[in-house]
Amino acid sequence: MHNAKSRNASVSGLALYRRMAWASIVAQLRYPGTFFLQMTGNFVTTLLGFFGIWSLFQRFGSIGGWDLGAVAVLYGLVNVAFSVSETLGRGFEVFGGEYVRTGQFDRLLLRPRPTLLLLLGHELRLRPIGRFLQGAFVLGAGLWLAPHVSWSAVWLVPWAITGGAAMFLGVLIGQAALCFKTVEGLEVVNVLTYGGVEAGQYPLTMFSRWLRRFLTWGLPLAGVCYYPALAMLAHPDPLGMPLAFGMVSPAMGFVFLGLMIWVWRKGVASYVSSGS
Amino acid sequence: MKPRAYLTAFGLQWKIGLRYRIAVVAGLVAQMWFGAISLMAYAAVYHHAPDVGAPLTLRQAMTYTWLQQSLFTLLPLGCLPAVGDAARTGAIIYDLLRPVDLWNWWLSASLARLLGNAVPRAVLLACVAGPLAALAGLGAWSLAPPASPGAALLAAASFALGALLSATIVMLWNVMTARTLSPLGSYAIGTPLAVLLSGMLLPLPLYPEWARIVLVLQPFAGITDIPIRLYLGASLPGGPLGALGVQIFWLVAMTLGGRLWMRRIIDRLEVQGA
Repeated sequence: MHNAKSRNASVSGLALYRRMAWASIVAQLRYPGTFFLQMTGNFVTTLLGFFGIWSLFQRFGSIGGWDLGAVAVLYGLVNVAFSVSETLGRGFEVFGGEYVRTGQFDRLLLRPRPTLLLLLGHELRLRPIGRFLQGAFVLGAGLWLAPHVSWSAVWLVPWAITGGAAMFLGVLIGQAALCFKTVEGLEVVNVLTYGGVEAGQYPLTMFSRWLRRFLTWGLPLAGVCYYPALAMLAHPDPLGMPLAFGMVSPAMGFVFLGLMIWVWRKGVASYVSSGS
Repeated sequence: MKPRAYLTAFGLQWKIGLRYRIAVVAGLVAQMWFGAISLMAYAAVYHHAPDVGAPLTLRQAMTYTWLQQSLFTLLPLGCLPAVGDAARTGAIIYDLLRPVDLWNWWLSASLARLLGNAVPRAVLLACVAGPLAALAGLGAWSLAPPASPGAALLAAASFALGALLSATIVMLWNVMTARTLSPLGSYAIGTPLAVLLSGMLLPLPLYPEWARIVLVLQPFAGITDIPIRLYLGASLPGGPLGALGVQIFWLVAMTLGGRLWMRRIIDRLEVQGA
Protein backbone atom coordinates (compact mmCIF):
# COMPACT_ATOMS: atom_id res chain seq x y z
CA MET A 1 0.00 0.00 0.00
CA HIS A 2 2.82 2.33 0.77
CA ASN A 3 4.07 2.29 -2.80
CA ALA A 4 0.67 3.64 -3.81
CA LYS A 5 1.40 6.77 -1.78
CA SER A 6 0.95 9.62 -4.12
CA ARG A 7 4.08 10.28 -6.11
CA ASN A 8 2.09 12.94 -7.81
CA ALA A 9 0.67 15.42 -5.32
CA SER A 10 -2.18 16.42 -7.58
CA VAL A 11 -3.92 13.02 -7.49
CA SER A 12 -7.58 13.49 -6.56
CA GLY A 13 -9.03 11.78 -3.52
CA LEU A 14 -11.02 9.30 -5.58
CA ALA A 15 -8.07 8.39 -7.81
CA LEU A 16 -5.93 7.90 -4.74
CA TYR A 17 -8.57 5.62 -3.21
CA ARG A 18 -8.70 3.62 -6.45
CA ARG A 19 -4.95 3.08 -6.32
CA MET A 20 -5.00 2.03 -2.70
CA ALA A 21 -7.92 -0.32 -3.34
CA TRP A 22 -6.13 -1.89 -6.28
CA ALA A 23 -2.93 -2.40 -4.28
CA SER A 24 -4.97 -4.03 -1.55
CA ILE A 25 -6.71 -6.41 -3.97
CA VAL A 26 -3.38 -7.47 -5.45
CA ALA A 27 -1.99 -8.04 -1.95
CA GLN A 28 -4.94 -10.22 -0.96
CA LEU A 29 -4.51 -12.39 -4.03
CA ARG A 30 -0.83 -12.93 -3.21
CA TYR A 31 -1.63 -16.08 -1.20
CA PRO A 32 -4.29 -17.61 -3.46
CA GLY A 33 -4.74 -20.80 -1.41
CA THR A 34 -5.44 -18.91 1.80
CA PHE A 35 -7.61 -16.41 -0.03
CA PHE A 36 -9.74 -19.15 -1.51
CA LEU A 37 -10.13 -20.86 1.87
CA GLN A 38 -11.10 -17.57 3.52
CA MET A 39 -13.67 -16.75 0.91
CA THR A 40 -15.22 -20.22 1.02
CA GLY A 41 -15.15 -20.12 4.80
CA ASN A 42 -16.93 -16.77 4.78
CA PHE A 43 -19.58 -18.05 2.40
CA VAL A 44 -20.12 -21.25 4.36
CA THR A 45 -20.09 -19.64 7.84
CA THR A 46 -22.67 -17.08 6.91
CA LEU A 47 -24.85 -19.56 5.05
CA LEU A 48 -24.73 -21.86 8.08
CA GLY A 49 -26.20 -19.02 10.10
CA PHE A 50 -29.27 -19.28 7.93
CA PHE A 51 -29.26 -23.05 8.20
CA GLY A 52 -29.73 -22.63 11.97
CA ILE A 53 -32.78 -20.41 11.44
CA TRP A 54 -34.15 -22.77 8.80
CA SER A 55 -33.83 -25.67 11.27
CA LEU A 56 -35.91 -23.74 13.81
CA PHE A 57 -38.60 -23.33 11.14
CA GLN A 58 -38.45 -27.04 10.31
CA ARG A 59 -39.17 -27.91 13.91
CA PHE A 60 -41.46 -25.13 15.10
CA GLY A 61 -43.14 -23.89 11.91
CA SER A 62 -42.59 -20.17 12.58
CA ILE A 63 -40.56 -17.72 14.63
CA GLY A 64 -43.13 -16.02 16.81
CA GLY A 65 -45.70 -16.18 13.99
CA TRP A 66 -43.41 -14.92 11.18
CA ASP A 67 -43.00 -17.10 8.12
CA LEU A 68 -39.75 -18.22 6.55
CA GLY A 69 -39.99 -15.77 3.62
CA ALA A 70 -40.19 -12.70 5.88
CA VAL A 71 -37.31 -13.85 8.07
CA ALA A 72 -35.23 -14.65 4.96
CA VAL A 73 -35.75 -11.08 3.70
CA LEU A 74 -34.61 -9.65 7.06
CA TYR A 75 -31.64 -11.98 7.11
CA GLY A 76 -30.63 -11.15 3.54
CA LEU A 77 -30.91 -7.38 4.02
CA VAL A 78 -28.81 -7.26 7.17
CA ASN A 79 -26.13 -9.58 5.81
CA VAL A 80 -25.72 -7.83 2.47
CA ALA A 81 -25.55 -4.43 4.19
CA PHE A 82 -22.99 -5.65 6.70
CA SER A 83 -20.83 -7.27 4.02
CA VAL A 84 -20.57 -3.96 2.15
CA SER A 85 -19.42 -2.14 5.27
CA GLU A 86 -17.01 -4.97 6.10
CA THR A 87 -15.45 -4.66 2.65
CA LEU A 88 -14.95 -0.90 2.97
CA GLY A 89 -14.29 -0.43 6.65
CA ARG A 90 -11.43 -2.79 7.51
CA GLY A 91 -9.14 0.13 8.35
CA PHE A 92 -11.49 1.24 11.12
CA GLU A 93 -11.79 -2.27 12.50
CA VAL A 94 -8.03 -2.59 13.04
CA PHE A 95 -7.53 1.09 13.82
CA GLY A 96 -6.73 0.72 17.55
CA GLY A 97 -4.12 -1.98 17.25
CA GLU A 98 -2.48 -0.94 13.99
CA TYR A 99 -2.67 2.86 14.05
CA VAL A 100 -3.18 4.28 17.54
CA ARG A 101 -1.13 1.89 19.66
CA THR A 102 1.78 1.95 17.22
CA GLY A 103 1.61 5.69 16.60
CA GLN A 104 1.13 5.06 12.85
CA PHE A 105 -1.79 7.46 12.89
CA ASP A 106 0.66 10.38 13.16
CA ARG A 107 1.83 9.52 9.65
CA LEU A 108 -1.70 9.62 8.29
CA LEU A 109 -2.16 13.06 9.83
CA LEU A 110 0.86 14.31 7.88
CA ARG A 111 -0.66 13.35 4.53
CA PRO A 112 -2.62 16.03 2.71
CA ARG A 113 -5.80 13.96 2.49
CA PRO A 114 -8.75 13.42 4.89
CA THR A 115 -8.00 10.72 7.47
CA LEU A 116 -11.30 8.96 6.77
CA LEU A 117 -10.33 8.53 3.11
CA LEU A 118 -6.89 7.18 4.01
CA LEU A 119 -8.39 4.68 6.42
CA LEU A 120 -10.99 3.58 3.88
CA GLY A 121 -7.99 2.86 1.66
CA HIS A 122 -6.33 0.71 4.34
CA GLU A 123 -7.82 -2.36 2.72
CA LEU A 124 -10.61 -3.13 0.30
CA ARG A 125 -11.43 -6.48 1.74
CA LEU A 126 -12.55 -9.14 -0.69
CA ARG A 127 -13.42 -11.83 1.80
CA PRO A 128 -16.91 -10.49 2.64
CA ILE A 129 -17.95 -11.25 -0.94
CA GLY A 130 -18.86 -14.64 0.49
CA ARG A 131 -21.31 -13.08 2.96
CA PHE A 132 -22.61 -10.73 0.27
CA LEU A 133 -23.39 -13.55 -2.17
CA GLN A 134 -25.15 -15.75 0.33
CA GLY A 135 -27.09 -12.80 1.77
CA ALA A 136 -28.22 -11.81 -1.71
CA PHE A 137 -29.20 -15.42 -2.39
CA VAL A 138 -31.26 -15.71 0.81
CA LEU A 139 -32.83 -12.28 0.16
CA GLY A 140 -33.88 -13.36 -3.33
CA ALA A 141 -35.29 -16.63 -2.04
CA GLY A 142 -37.19 -14.77 0.69
CA LEU A 143 -38.77 -12.35 -1.78
CA TRP A 144 -39.71 -15.28 -3.97
CA LEU A 145 -41.25 -17.21 -1.04
CA ALA A 146 -43.15 -14.28 0.46
CA PRO A 147 -46.81 -14.09 -0.58
CA HIS A 148 -47.22 -10.35 -1.24
CA VAL A 149 -44.13 -8.55 -2.45
CA SER A 150 -44.96 -4.97 -3.39
CA TRP A 151 -43.37 -3.24 -6.40
CA SER A 152 -41.70 -0.82 -4.06
CA ALA A 153 -39.19 -3.63 -3.36
CA VAL A 154 -37.43 -2.72 -6.62
CA TRP A 155 -36.10 0.51 -5.15
CA LEU A 156 -36.49 -0.33 -1.45
CA VAL A 157 -33.97 -3.17 -1.55
CA PRO A 158 -31.03 -1.01 -2.73
CA TRP A 159 -32.18 1.87 -0.52
CA ALA A 160 -32.36 -0.29 2.60
CA ILE A 161 -29.00 -1.90 1.81
CA THR A 162 -27.18 1.42 1.37
CA GLY A 163 -28.80 2.71 4.56
CA GLY A 164 -27.71 -0.43 6.38
CA ALA A 165 -24.18 -0.30 4.99
CA ALA A 166 -23.96 3.37 6.08
CA MET A 167 -25.11 2.41 9.57
CA PHE A 168 -22.59 -0.41 9.95
CA LEU A 169 -19.82 1.79 8.54
CA GLY A 170 -20.88 4.32 11.18
CA VAL A 171 -20.45 1.67 13.87
CA LEU A 172 -16.95 0.89 12.58
CA ILE A 173 -16.00 4.58 12.50
CA GLY A 174 -17.41 5.04 16.01
CA GLN A 175 -15.43 2.01 17.15
CA ALA A 176 -12.27 3.55 15.69
CA ALA A 177 -13.01 6.93 17.30
CA LEU A 178 -13.36 5.14 20.64
CA CYS A 179 -9.76 3.93 20.22
CA PHE A 180 -8.55 7.52 20.70
CA LYS A 181 -9.65 7.04 24.31
CA THR A 182 -8.95 3.34 24.83
CA VAL A 183 -5.88 2.92 22.55
CA GLU A 184 -6.54 -0.79 22.02
CA GLY A 185 -9.66 -1.74 20.08
CA LEU A 186 -12.47 -2.93 22.29
CA GLU A 187 -14.09 -6.17 21.23
CA VAL A 188 -17.27 -5.13 23.00
CA VAL A 189 -18.14 -3.14 19.91
CA ASN A 190 -18.58 -6.48 18.13
CA VAL A 191 -21.90 -6.55 19.93
CA LEU A 192 -23.02 -3.80 17.54
CA THR A 193 -21.49 -5.30 14.36
CA TYR A 194 -21.72 -9.08 14.48
CA GLY A 195 -24.28 -8.84 17.27
CA GLY A 196 -26.24 -6.36 15.17
CA VAL A 197 -26.31 -8.79 12.27
CA GLU A 198 -27.48 -11.49 14.66
CA ALA A 199 -30.25 -9.30 16.06
CA GLY A 200 -31.25 -7.86 12.68
CA GLN A 201 -32.08 -11.22 11.19
CA TYR A 202 -34.94 -11.78 13.64
CA PRO A 203 -38.27 -9.88 13.58
CA LEU A 204 -38.20 -6.92 15.96
CA THR A 205 -41.40 -8.04 17.69
CA MET A 206 -39.52 -10.97 19.20
CA PHE A 207 -37.44 -8.79 21.51
CA SER A 208 -38.23 -7.23 24.87
CA ARG A 209 -39.27 -3.59 24.86
CA TRP A 210 -35.93 -2.14 26.04
CA LEU A 211 -34.12 -3.95 23.25
CA ARG A 212 -36.69 -2.89 20.63
CA ARG A 213 -36.22 0.73 21.64
CA PHE A 214 -32.45 0.46 21.48
CA LEU A 215 -32.53 -1.23 18.07
CA THR A 216 -34.82 1.46 16.66
CA TRP A 217 -33.58 4.73 18.18
CA GLY A 218 -30.10 3.91 19.51
CA LEU A 219 -28.62 1.77 16.77
CA PRO A 220 -31.16 2.26 13.94
CA LEU A 221 -31.08 -1.38 12.89
CA ALA A 222 -34.87 -1.62 12.64
CA GLY A 223 -34.91 1.46 10.41
CA VAL A 224 -32.60 -0.09 7.81
CA CYS A 225 -33.89 -3.64 8.03
CA TYR A 226 -37.16 -4.43 9.80
CA TYR A 227 -39.32 -1.50 8.65
CA PRO A 228 -38.19 -1.52 4.98
CA ALA A 229 -38.79 -5.29 4.94
CA LEU A 230 -42.34 -4.74 6.20
CA ALA A 231 -42.92 -2.18 3.46
CA MET A 232 -41.57 -4.55 0.77
CA LEU A 233 -43.72 -7.42 1.99
CA ALA A 234 -46.81 -5.24 2.61
CA HIS A 235 -46.88 -6.80 6.07
CA PRO A 236 -48.63 -4.59 8.65
CA ASP A 237 -46.47 -3.87 11.70
CA PRO A 238 -47.82 -5.68 14.79
CA LEU A 239 -46.41 -2.80 16.84
CA GLY A 240 -48.51 -0.27 14.92
CA MET A 241 -45.95 1.74 12.94
CA PRO A 242 -47.45 2.84 9.55
CA LEU A 243 -46.01 1.00 6.52
CA ALA A 244 -44.82 4.23 4.88
CA PHE A 245 -42.26 4.61 7.69
CA GLY A 246 -40.24 1.81 6.09
CA MET A 247 -39.83 3.86 2.90
CA VAL A 248 -38.00 6.69 4.67
CA SER A 249 -36.47 4.91 7.64
CA PRO A 250 -33.27 3.76 5.84
CA ALA A 251 -32.25 7.43 6.03
CA MET A 252 -31.68 6.79 9.73
CA GLY A 253 -28.59 4.79 8.74
CA PHE A 254 -27.11 7.89 7.09
CA VAL A 255 -28.00 10.06 10.09
CA PHE A 256 -26.17 7.57 12.29
CA LEU A 257 -23.15 7.61 9.95
CA GLY A 258 -23.14 11.43 10.03
CA LEU A 259 -23.22 11.37 13.81
CA MET A 260 -20.29 8.98 13.96
CA ILE A 261 -18.27 11.09 11.49
CA TRP A 262 -18.87 14.04 13.81
CA VAL A 263 -17.61 11.93 16.75
CA TRP A 264 -14.59 10.95 14.66
CA ARG A 265 -13.73 14.61 13.95
CA LYS A 266 -13.94 15.38 17.67
CA GLY A 267 -11.67 12.40 18.34
CA VAL A 268 -9.06 13.48 15.78
CA ALA A 269 -9.08 17.02 17.16
CA SER A 270 -8.26 15.77 20.65
CA TYR A 271 -5.78 13.08 19.49
CA VAL A 272 -2.54 12.83 21.44
CA SER A 273 0.01 10.48 19.92
CA SER A 274 0.96 7.35 21.82
CA GLY A 275 3.73 6.21 19.51
CA SER A 276 7.46 6.70 19.78
CA MET B 1 10.59 -37.65 27.20
CA LYS B 2 10.63 -35.13 30.02
CA PRO B 3 7.05 -34.10 30.83
CA ARG B 4 8.45 -30.89 32.35
CA ALA B 5 8.95 -29.30 28.95
CA TYR B 6 5.30 -29.82 28.10
CA LEU B 7 4.24 -28.44 31.47
CA THR B 8 6.28 -25.32 30.71
CA ALA B 9 4.58 -24.92 27.34
CA PHE B 10 1.25 -25.35 29.10
CA GLY B 11 2.07 -22.86 31.86
CA LEU B 12 3.21 -20.18 29.43
CA GLN B 13 0.06 -20.21 27.30
CA TRP B 14 -2.14 -20.49 30.39
CA LYS B 15 -0.63 -17.27 31.76
CA ILE B 16 -1.06 -15.51 28.41
CA GLY B 17 -4.75 -16.44 28.51
CA LEU B 18 -5.19 -15.03 32.01
CA ARG B 19 -3.33 -11.81 31.21
CA TYR B 20 -6.12 -10.03 29.36
CA ARG B 21 -8.67 -9.20 32.05
CA ILE B 22 -10.41 -6.47 30.06
CA ALA B 23 -10.80 -8.87 27.16
CA VAL B 24 -12.50 -11.28 29.56
CA VAL B 25 -15.05 -8.65 30.57
CA ALA B 26 -15.54 -7.58 26.94
CA GLY B 27 -16.09 -11.21 26.00
CA LEU B 28 -18.60 -11.53 28.82
CA VAL B 29 -20.68 -8.64 27.49
CA ALA B 30 -20.61 -10.10 23.97
CA GLN B 31 -21.58 -13.58 25.17
CA MET B 32 -24.45 -12.15 27.24
CA TRP B 33 -25.72 -10.24 24.21
CA PHE B 34 -25.63 -13.22 21.87
CA GLY B 35 -27.06 -15.43 24.61
CA ALA B 36 -29.93 -13.02 25.26
CA ILE B 37 -30.84 -12.79 21.55
CA SER B 38 -30.85 -16.58 21.20
CA LEU B 39 -32.93 -16.93 24.35
CA MET B 40 -35.53 -14.46 23.09
CA ALA B 41 -35.66 -16.32 19.76
CA TYR B 42 -36.16 -19.68 21.50
CA ALA B 43 -38.79 -18.21 23.83
CA ALA B 44 -40.65 -16.84 20.77
CA VAL B 45 -40.64 -20.14 18.87
CA TYR B 46 -41.46 -22.31 21.88
CA HIS B 47 -44.36 -20.13 23.01
CA HIS B 48 -45.82 -20.00 19.52
CA ALA B 49 -45.73 -23.77 19.07
CA PRO B 50 -46.22 -25.25 22.56
CA ASP B 51 -47.09 -28.78 21.43
CA VAL B 52 -44.24 -29.55 19.03
CA GLY B 53 -42.58 -31.86 21.56
CA ALA B 54 -39.02 -30.69 20.95
CA PRO B 55 -36.23 -32.92 22.33
CA LEU B 56 -35.23 -30.14 24.76
CA THR B 57 -37.63 -28.18 26.94
CA LEU B 58 -37.39 -24.39 26.73
CA ARG B 59 -35.69 -24.36 30.13
CA GLN B 60 -33.13 -26.92 28.93
CA ALA B 61 -32.58 -25.01 25.70
CA MET B 62 -31.81 -21.89 27.75
CA THR B 63 -29.35 -23.66 30.03
CA TYR B 64 -27.77 -25.25 26.95
CA THR B 65 -27.36 -21.81 25.37
CA TRP B 66 -25.74 -20.27 28.46
CA LEU B 67 -23.27 -23.14 28.85
CA GLN B 68 -22.48 -23.01 25.15
CA GLN B 69 -21.92 -19.24 25.29
CA SER B 70 -19.72 -19.51 28.36
CA LEU B 71 -17.54 -22.10 26.62
CA PHE B 72 -17.22 -20.23 23.32
CA THR B 73 -13.45 -19.79 23.68
CA LEU B 74 -13.03 -23.52 24.29
CA LEU B 75 -13.99 -24.21 20.67
CA PRO B 76 -11.24 -24.99 18.13
CA LEU B 77 -11.85 -21.85 16.04
CA GLY B 78 -8.40 -21.89 14.41
CA CYS B 79 -4.75 -22.68 14.97
CA LEU B 80 -2.73 -21.66 18.02
CA PRO B 81 -1.69 -18.02 17.31
CA ALA B 82 1.91 -18.78 18.27
CA VAL B 83 2.06 -21.50 15.60
CA GLY B 84 0.47 -19.16 13.08
CA ASP B 85 3.11 -16.50 13.75
CA ALA B 86 5.87 -19.10 13.63
CA ALA B 87 4.66 -20.41 10.27
CA ARG B 88 4.37 -16.92 8.81
CA THR B 89 7.76 -15.64 9.99
CA GLY B 90 9.69 -18.89 9.59
CA ALA B 91 10.33 -19.17 13.34
CA ILE B 92 8.70 -22.59 13.05
CA ILE B 93 12.23 -23.88 12.46
CA TYR B 94 13.00 -23.31 16.16
CA ASP B 95 10.08 -25.53 17.14
CA LEU B 96 11.44 -28.26 14.86
CA LEU B 97 14.86 -28.06 16.52
CA ARG B 98 13.60 -28.51 20.07
CA PRO B 99 14.45 -31.88 21.66
CA VAL B 100 10.79 -32.57 22.40
CA ASP B 101 7.96 -34.38 20.69
CA LEU B 102 6.49 -31.68 18.46
CA TRP B 103 2.93 -33.00 18.70
CA ASN B 104 2.90 -33.00 22.52
CA TRP B 105 4.68 -29.65 22.63
CA TRP B 106 2.08 -27.91 20.49
CA LEU B 107 -0.75 -29.89 22.07
CA SER B 108 0.06 -28.81 25.61
CA ALA B 109 0.36 -25.20 24.48
CA SER B 110 -2.94 -25.43 22.57
CA LEU B 111 -4.75 -26.99 25.52
CA ALA B 112 -3.44 -24.33 27.89
CA ARG B 113 -4.47 -21.56 25.52
CA LEU B 114 -8.02 -22.93 25.28
CA LEU B 115 -8.34 -23.43 29.03
CA GLY B 116 -6.68 -20.13 29.94
CA ASN B 117 -9.22 -18.35 27.76
CA ALA B 118 -12.25 -20.45 28.59
CA VAL B 119 -12.03 -21.12 32.32
CA PRO B 120 -12.20 -17.52 33.64
CA ARG B 121 -14.92 -16.64 31.14
CA ALA B 122 -16.95 -19.74 31.89
CA VAL B 123 -16.80 -19.19 35.66
CA LEU B 124 -17.78 -15.52 35.31
CA LEU B 125 -20.63 -16.11 32.87
CA ALA B 126 -21.92 -19.07 34.87
CA CYS B 127 -22.08 -16.85 37.97
CA VAL B 128 -23.84 -14.04 36.12
CA ALA B 129 -26.26 -16.23 34.15
CA GLY B 130 -26.88 -18.63 37.05
CA PRO B 131 -27.19 -17.43 40.66
CA LEU B 132 -27.02 -13.68 39.91
CA ALA B 133 -29.75 -13.84 37.24
CA ALA B 134 -31.91 -15.92 39.58
CA LEU B 135 -31.43 -13.36 42.36
CA ALA B 136 -32.34 -10.54 39.97
CA GLY B 137 -35.72 -12.19 39.37
CA LEU B 138 -34.78 -13.60 35.96
CA GLY B 139 -34.94 -17.18 37.23
CA ALA B 140 -36.90 -18.39 34.21
CA TRP B 141 -34.10 -17.19 31.88
CA SER B 142 -31.18 -18.34 34.00
CA LEU B 143 -28.67 -21.16 33.85
CA ALA B 144 -30.08 -24.16 35.74
CA PRO B 145 -27.90 -26.38 37.99
CA PRO B 146 -27.01 -29.92 36.80
CA ALA B 147 -29.90 -32.39 36.60
CA SER B 148 -28.52 -34.62 39.40
CA PRO B 149 -25.23 -35.29 41.24
CA GLY B 150 -24.65 -38.24 38.88
CA ALA B 151 -25.22 -35.99 35.86
CA ALA B 152 -22.74 -33.49 37.33
CA LEU B 153 -20.06 -36.18 37.67
CA LEU B 154 -20.59 -37.52 34.16
CA ALA B 155 -20.57 -33.97 32.78
CA ALA B 156 -17.32 -33.13 34.59
CA ALA B 157 -15.57 -36.17 33.08
CA SER B 158 -17.05 -35.34 29.70
CA PHE B 159 -16.02 -31.66 29.83
CA ALA B 160 -12.42 -32.76 30.54
CA LEU B 161 -12.48 -35.08 27.51
CA GLY B 162 -14.09 -32.27 25.51
CA ALA B 163 -11.26 -29.86 26.30
CA LEU B 164 -8.67 -32.46 25.21
CA LEU B 165 -10.66 -33.18 22.06
CA SER B 166 -10.78 -29.48 21.23
CA ALA B 167 -7.00 -29.14 21.70
CA THR B 168 -6.51 -32.14 19.40
CA ILE B 169 -8.63 -30.47 16.71
CA VAL B 170 -6.56 -27.29 17.18
CA MET B 171 -3.53 -29.51 16.48
CA LEU B 172 -5.03 -30.38 13.09
CA TRP B 173 -5.39 -26.65 12.40
CA ASN B 174 -1.76 -26.19 13.51
CA VAL B 175 -0.55 -28.80 11.05
CA MET B 176 -2.68 -27.22 8.32
CA THR B 177 -1.10 -23.85 9.13
CA ALA B 178 2.37 -25.35 8.85
CA ARG B 179 1.31 -26.57 5.41
CA THR B 180 -0.34 -23.37 4.08
CA LEU B 181 2.12 -21.00 5.85
CA SER B 182 -0.67 -18.68 6.98
CA PRO B 183 -3.02 -18.98 9.97
CA LEU B 184 -5.92 -17.31 8.19
CA GLY B 185 -7.06 -20.39 6.30
CA SER B 186 -7.34 -22.42 9.48
CA TYR B 187 -9.62 -19.78 10.97
CA ALA B 188 -11.68 -19.66 7.80
CA ILE B 189 -12.30 -23.41 7.95
CA GLY B 190 -12.18 -23.95 11.71
CA THR B 191 -14.58 -21.24 12.84
CA PRO B 192 -17.61 -22.24 10.76
CA LEU B 193 -17.11 -25.94 11.40
CA ALA B 194 -16.71 -25.47 15.15
CA VAL B 195 -19.58 -23.01 15.50
CA LEU B 196 -22.02 -25.19 13.58
CA LEU B 197 -21.01 -28.68 14.63
CA SER B 198 -20.44 -28.04 18.34
CA GLY B 199 -23.97 -26.73 18.85
CA MET B 200 -22.93 -23.11 19.34
CA LEU B 201 -25.16 -21.87 16.51
CA LEU B 202 -28.19 -23.93 17.48
CA PRO B 203 -28.34 -26.72 20.09
CA LEU B 204 -27.54 -29.94 18.20
CA PRO B 205 -30.73 -31.68 19.46
CA LEU B 206 -32.87 -29.01 17.77
CA TYR B 207 -31.61 -29.73 14.23
CA PRO B 208 -33.96 -31.74 11.98
CA GLU B 209 -34.51 -35.36 13.02
CA TRP B 210 -32.67 -36.90 10.06
CA ALA B 211 -29.42 -35.27 11.10
CA ARG B 212 -29.50 -36.18 14.79
CA ILE B 213 -27.43 -39.39 14.81
CA VAL B 214 -24.79 -38.00 12.45
CA LEU B 215 -24.53 -34.85 14.55
CA VAL B 216 -23.79 -36.81 17.74
CA LEU B 217 -21.25 -39.05 16.02
CA GLN B 218 -19.12 -36.27 14.51
CA PRO B 219 -16.04 -35.17 16.49
CA PHE B 220 -17.13 -31.60 17.29
CA ALA B 221 -20.14 -32.86 19.29
CA GLY B 222 -17.69 -34.20 21.87
CA ILE B 223 -16.35 -30.72 22.72
CA THR B 224 -19.39 -29.11 24.30
CA ASP B 225 -22.63 -30.72 23.09
CA ILE B 226 -22.17 -34.15 24.72
CA PRO B 227 -20.95 -32.70 28.06
CA ILE B 228 -23.86 -30.23 28.14
CA ARG B 229 -26.43 -32.92 27.39
CA LEU B 230 -25.00 -35.04 30.21
CA TYR B 231 -25.24 -31.97 32.47
CA LEU B 232 -28.91 -31.51 31.51
CA GLY B 233 -29.64 -35.19 31.91
CA ALA B 234 -31.03 -35.10 28.35
CA SER B 235 -31.28 -38.27 26.30
CA LEU B 236 -28.33 -39.28 24.14
CA PRO B 237 -28.36 -42.02 21.51
CA GLY B 238 -26.30 -44.86 23.02
CA GLY B 239 -26.68 -43.61 26.60
CA PRO B 240 -24.15 -41.64 28.67
CA LEU B 241 -21.40 -44.26 28.38
CA GLY B 242 -21.83 -44.49 24.62
CA ALA B 243 -21.44 -40.71 24.47
CA LEU B 244 -18.19 -40.83 26.46
CA GLY B 245 -17.11 -43.62 24.11
CA VAL B 246 -17.66 -41.34 21.10
CA GLN B 247 -15.44 -38.72 22.71
CA ILE B 248 -12.67 -41.23 23.44
CA PHE B 249 -12.91 -42.72 19.96
CA TRP B 250 -12.36 -39.34 18.29
CA LEU B 251 -9.58 -38.44 20.68
CA VAL B 252 -7.65 -41.60 19.77
CA ALA B 253 -8.49 -41.52 16.07
CA MET B 254 -7.55 -37.88 15.59
CA THR B 255 -4.36 -38.20 17.60
CA LEU B 256 -3.16 -41.13 15.48
CA GLY B 257 -4.28 -39.61 12.18
CA GLY B 258 -2.99 -36.17 13.10
CA ARG B 259 0.44 -37.45 14.08
CA LEU B 260 0.77 -39.27 10.75
CA TRP B 261 -0.31 -36.19 8.83
CA MET B 262 2.06 -33.98 10.82
CA ARG B 263 5.01 -36.24 10.04
CA ARG B 264 4.22 -36.05 6.31
CA ILE B 265 3.85 -32.27 6.37
CA ILE B 266 6.99 -31.68 8.45
CA ASP B 267 9.05 -33.96 6.19
CA ARG B 268 8.38 -31.81 3.17
CA LEU B 269 8.03 -28.48 4.96
CA GLU B 270 9.38 -25.41 3.20
CA VAL B 271 10.18 -22.68 5.71
CA GLN B 272 9.64 -19.12 4.60
CA GLY B 273 11.08 -15.96 6.08
CA ALA B 274 14.54 -14.95 7.16
